[in-house]
Amino acid sequence: MSKPVIKVKDLHKVYDGAVPVKAVNGIDLTITEGEFTALKGPSGCGKTTLLNMLGGLDAPTSGAIEVGGVDITKLSQNELIDFRLRNIGFVFQAYNLIPVLSATENVSFIMLLQNRSKEEREQRARQLLQSVGLTGKEDKRPGQLSGGQQQRVAVARALASKPQFVLADEPTANLDSESTANLLDIMLKLNKEEGMTFVFATHDDRVISKARRVVAVSDGKIVSDTTK
Amino acid sequence: MILKIAWRNIWRSKVRSFIVLTSIAIGIWAGLLIIGFSFGMNNERTAAAIGSTLGHSQVHSEAFLEEPTSAATIGDAEVVAALQDSLLSAPYVTGVSVRGVMMGMVSAPKSARGARMIAVDPESERENSTLPSTIIEGDFFESKTRNSVVIGAQLAEKLGVGLRKKVVLTFQDGEGNISRASFRITGIYRTLNSTWDELNIYIKRSDLKKTIGKDLVHELMVRYDETEGTEEKTAELAQMLPQGLHILSWKRNSPELGYADDMMGIMLVLVLGIIMMALLFGIVNNMLMAILERRRELGMLMAVGMNKRKLFVMILVETLMLGFVGGPIGIILGDLSTRVMMGIGIDLTSKKEGLANLGVQSVIYPEIVPEYYIIVAIMVVLTALIAALYPAFKALKLNPVQAIRGE
Repeated sequence: MSKPVIKVKDLHKVYDGAVPVKAVNGIDLTITEGEFTALKGPSGCGKTTLLNMLGGLDAPTSGAIEVGGVDITKLSQNELIDFRLRNIGFVFQAYNLIPVLSATENVSFIMLLQNRSKEEREQRARQLLQSVGLTGKEDKRPGQLSGGQQQRVAVARALASKPQFVLADEPTANLDSESTANLLDIMLKLNKEEGMTFVFATHDDRVISKARRVVAVSDGKIVSDTTK
Repeated sequence: MILKIAWRNIWRSKVRSFIVLTSIAIGIWAGLLIIGFSFGMNNERTAAAIGSTLGHSQVHSEAFLEEPTSAATIGDAEVVAALQDSLLSAPYVTGVSVRGVMMGMVSAPKSARGARMIAVDPESERENSTLPSTIIEGDFFESKTRNSVVIGAQLAEKLGVGLRKKVVLTFQDGEGNISRASFRITGIYRTLNSTWDELNIYIKRSDLKKTIGKDLVHELMVRYDETEGTEEKTAELAQMLPQGLHILSWKRNSPELGYADDMMGIMLVLVLGIIMMALLFGIVNNMLMAILERRRELGMLMAVGMNKRKLFVMILVETLMLGFVGGPIGIILGDLSTRVMMGIGIDLTSKKEGLANLGVQSVIYPEIVPEYYIIVAIMVVLTALIAALYPAFKALKLNPVQAIRGE
């Protein structure tokens, strides 16, 4: 049996305001190593909030999140930043690459933050770009790449730090069908061949159809959890 | 890679960065030109005053410094000669002029005015001062004429007299008795200091001696090989003097000139400070804009694990780079402009009279002051550092989740 990578217990997130909003309302969830999981649900259902909390970007109001045996809700801000750097890969909807750096530099920048040697950074960055099908595009800057290619660079960047898992928030929202299919194929390949765990927040049926486990979220609660 | 990112980020918004870099360069260029101009003006004024009237230092008796009466002499001829030899034995002393200085009155047929009579040895003055070169009419005691006098152009104008006209000088002798003698104007001088020209009259020591029957020496004007280190040299010479005598540097003999020198240093730092303050706001504005535009990117960096220290350093380096690019351009421009101006001068003929009152010529030649280049460079770096702080702290306060969404 695969070991759990993420264990969430009775997670709550309430946004204060004139009318407090319960974005996440008592979620229990376990993600095991090698999963390819989609958190689905309509806009505002709480899936992005959940994803952000899994990634340590947002703090829960109550509940616990264990990542690789560490309760990240107990970590200080600085510890959390370092934890994210070493354990979690992120893929964002808007790619969020550094426009002044080439594809290789964007990927290797994360490794620079981990104080890896220049040689290791360059070698791994080229290898990762190759694995996401961007051979020949290594020296191109984001502005010279298509949306699909940029998102593939973002996937390579997410993997660069050798994380325990990758969190992707609507990674295909800005992509056409062909680019989406390509990106999903690459991520599935990385999942199968390298055992990388992927967790998506999405309402894109193209992603949901490829996911092996689909967790449906509604009104901040899990309403269904299906494994194919 | 941080340096690479910083450098490339500068050129992301070319127009904005160009404007900031240009303003840094122009600010520094203007600052250096002002420094060169001010130093040129002040040094010219100081050099003229030292050369023509003050010397680098002057020896007086304590009594003379308290009240400059005719009786307050340095001593008799023997004392003066010994003192002269002693001063000349210092390696940096290039000359010593012996002077008698008396307050009195000069009367012309139409007018009379208070004046200071300076009794000099013409030969010695020619060697140790530039006053003879300021003669605009007649000469500086070239002829053997007895009771000849050289007066300032301003004084001649006020008295309504000219060359070869007679004036009567009235002054006290060493015993306090009033002496009066008729002198003929054989020379008219015009220094850069019109106030000096209006007050001071030069006569020969030999004529003074014949008039009052005694040689009065109140002042020894001392010239050094160079103005640099005047205070130290003066302090050293002070050790050689017998009791009751004092040696004061030009700065202390002419406090207004010394204050102007000191004030100029303060003023220049203030001017540079104001320029840097303007640059500071320009840089802060530029960096705040840059951070606002790049908040998604900064949010992403924070999300993926860039710690606050590294983020802070990245913004700091980027801001410093603006200074490192704009600063040298400004310094090079300032240096080149000053060098060009050194050759052609800045013509302020329209303000000639006002400048003459300040003891400055109407064409000013700026000077290069290397130490100010270092001060400017340090100030630019400090300005960029200070300018980086607010935008950097602003960036640190970004919430990664909101920043990534572009909120």
